[in-house]
Amino acid sequence: MTWTAFRPKRTAWFRGFLIAGVVSMVIYLVAAWWAPWAPGRWGGLTFGTLAALLFVVDALYPFRRRWNGWPFGNIQRWLQFHIYGGGIAGIYVLIHVGFRLPNGLFGWWLFLLSFWVIVSGLAGVYLQKQIPAVLANNLSVEAIYERIPELTGRLQAEADKLLAGAPDLLQRFYSTNTRTSLASVAPAWGYLIDFRAERERQMAPFKEVVTYLSEADRLKLMDLQAIVSEKFELDVQYSLQRVLKVWVPLHAVPAIVLMGLLVVHVTAVLLF
Amino acid sequence: MEQPHRAPHGGEATERKPNVPVAPGMELVEIARLKQYPFLKDCSDIVLKKLQPQFAERRFEPGATILQLGGYSDAAYYIASGVVGVQLTTVGARREAKAAEAADAPRSMADRIQTVLNRKPADQAVVRPRAVADGTVILSDLPVDLRADEEVLLEAGEVFGEMSALSRYPISADVVARSEVQCLLIRTAGLRLMFKQKELAPFKKMIDDRYRARTLSNHLRNVSLFAELDERAITSLRDKAELLSFEPGKLIVEQGAIADAFYLVRGGFVKVAVKAGESNAAVTYLGKGDHAGEIGLLLDEPWPFSLFALEHVEIVKIPRADFQAVVTQYPDVQQLLWNATVERLKQRGMVAREPLTSRYLQMAMDTGLIHGESVLLIDLTTCTRCDDCVRGCAETHGGVPRFIREGNKFRTWSIPTSCYQCTDPVCMIGCPTGAITRPLGTLEVTINKDTCIGCSNCVRRCPWGNIIEVPFASPTLNRQIDLATKCDLCLGRPQGPACVQSCPHGSAVRISFKDLATVSRTLSQ
Repeated sequence: MTWTAFRPKRTAWFRGFLIAGVVSMVIYLVAAWWAPWAPGRWGGLTFGTLAALLFVVDALYPFRRRWNGWPFGNIQRWLQFHIYGGGIAGIYVLIHVGFRLPNGLFGWWLFLLSFWVIVSGLAGVYLQKQIPAVLANNLSVEAIYERIPELTGRLQAEADKLLAGAPDLLQRFYSTNTRTSLASVAPAWGYLIDFRAERERQMAPFKEVVTYLSEADRLKLMDLQAIVSEKFELDVQYSLQRVLKVWVPLHAVPAIVLMGLLVVHVTAVLLF
Repeated sequence: MEQPHRAPHGGEATERKPNVPVAPGMELVEIARLKQYPFLKDCSDIVLKKLQPQFAERRFEPGATILQLGGYSDAAYYIASGVVGVQLTTVGARREAKAAEAADAPRSMADRIQTVLNRKPADQAVVRPRAVADGTVILSDLPVDLRADEEVLLEAGEVFGEMSALSRYPISADVVARSEVQCLLIRTAGLRLMFKQKELAPFKKMIDDRYRARTLSNHLRNVSLFAELDERAITSLRDKAELLSFEPGKLIVEQGAIADAFYLVRGGFVKVAVKAGESNAAVTYLGKGDHAGEIGLLLDEPWPFSLFALEHVEIVKIPRADFQAVVTQYPDVQQLLWNATVERLKQRGMVAREPLTSRYLQMAMDTGLIHGESVLLIDLTTCTRCDDCVRGCAETHGGVPRFIREGNKFRTWSIPTSCYQCTDPVCMIGCPTGAITRPLGTLEVTINKDTCIGCSNCVRRCPWGNIIEVPFASPTLNRQIDLATKCDLCLGRPQGPACVQSCPHGSAVRISFKDLATVSRTLSQ
């Protein structure tokens, strides 16, 4: 895993984000120097309102397909707004509270949820850039997540068929070393960090047994190795695609809760 | 969400290739009966036995449509008895009807204008009938000339549809039975087989003469090189041209051989390759209307590359002397030739500089992508596997996606199971209800779900397995049947294909494999 995934793909959006962030900070610093800063005063309210608006627009992202990318022209621009708008909203939340820790339980909930949603969003950006590149560049197999268990099942059947009638040594090697690992998908969170070592570990017994086999049986062993390698790649695919899938509710559910609390917060401010 | 499934192909790879029989269960025509056909009467039993599976007899009721304008056929029709009418239908009327059918909901005027503006013509997909000055339309695959709103009758002994079958051009007019009609169908494979039989040389000559007389001038004129030539020059080239056929994989010319002729591709795809060590590196490929040989003739040098037939290829060969006679008379042609030569040399140079380009080309040839007018590719380095492309497709098509995000992988690109919108859509051949069509001049090959009967003919014919079957509760049959379904490029959707538009990461792209520069640029990203 590398940090190059954080390199912005669309530099214009990144520049816009930096400019908006710097300009907002300058405005805050000047305003805070000019007069005491509080979330309820005009400056704090302005940034709080902007943050709330940005959060609301960001929360509309799931409607991107239904609205055909409106109002951003297309869905890719909407995603960019979702990312950078969320980032700016985070800065505006900090400016809104004057870079102070919140008071009261409700304030803490708002603060912590905002923090979580933004941090999980950044984690999502990283994962969504890093994982596809790892999958595409390091694996020869590509499969739909939901179909991986079915494909794995087929591999075991294929291996059974291949080894039917094979010499005893090969049969024993298959049943002791390989067959159980082909039985079902074996995902591992560790593959997020590295999977090369595990690949080598799984392939090592093949190097040992090959010396004891005849030429014809070696071909069978090579076929079996190809099946095991494919199964391993399916495991990696499943593990990493699962991360991409698990990440979504970790980001979206707190975001929905945040929206709810935001409505309560804004209503309370307007009423009281 | 209801998922489409691949149709069972019975594990027979050959079943998925083009030129499968029109109706696999159709009865063989007896040898004795075949001998009653005038052009087969002198044929030996051995040859007829070999040809027998390629023949079929079909009877058409009066009013039945035998061939439809814009459709494709993989058989020539010999009229044994009866009369057929050949007529032109207004293309505009068909297209309007198709667009109206595709519109699921009323759309704004702005959307409609956008749709029209976004529509891309398929340059090589359609060769339109050529109209002469008096408004007569010359039909390349039918032995008649037509004016609009006119019908010409063909009687027993006439042959039609052979050009469409051999060169995969769309049918140029509607052919309708005007009485009870008995036809002998000669499948494309049968036609090719017949051309190789010495006993059937008169038949080949008849077909070749008809091609030469009716179509070749039109084809020559469609080649940009010859567009400005006068009638006399075209006639001269036409009369001197040799018509050649090549089997898939055959060498057409070898690098280093004496450049003795100019080659024009009449049908099929040709690989242009240069020797790179022991192998042949692909430089480019040639399709219908493309030509080769100008470099050798201009520079008086041997062939700088080899030509291989990628599939059944039909070639028009113009001998060196005749070709040069034209070149010397027309300086403009000479200039165009030089331009083509420079372009070809650039392509050759690019292969040397960027070996990857050659690999892309080879992959496109191996996988059949060269047929694709609009191929969906997914960049796996940026695709987050969110399936938004599939959802976008499903939402546009009533909940059932028209493609599967699974298929071949080339380097870091996925080629999903989605219709390539082939230049020559073989899936359209032999649809019993005419449900699968391509409106003339457009890219989209579409299936009308109201007239599809779920016979799987198109599913079996698609060489790439890109037509899928979806269960459909038929209200008339009162049971569930599987209907063929395929990508229609979201015909009628103002924003274009939903798969591409729905991808938040820009990973899904659609490219034409006719545009090799874009292919190379895209895949090199």
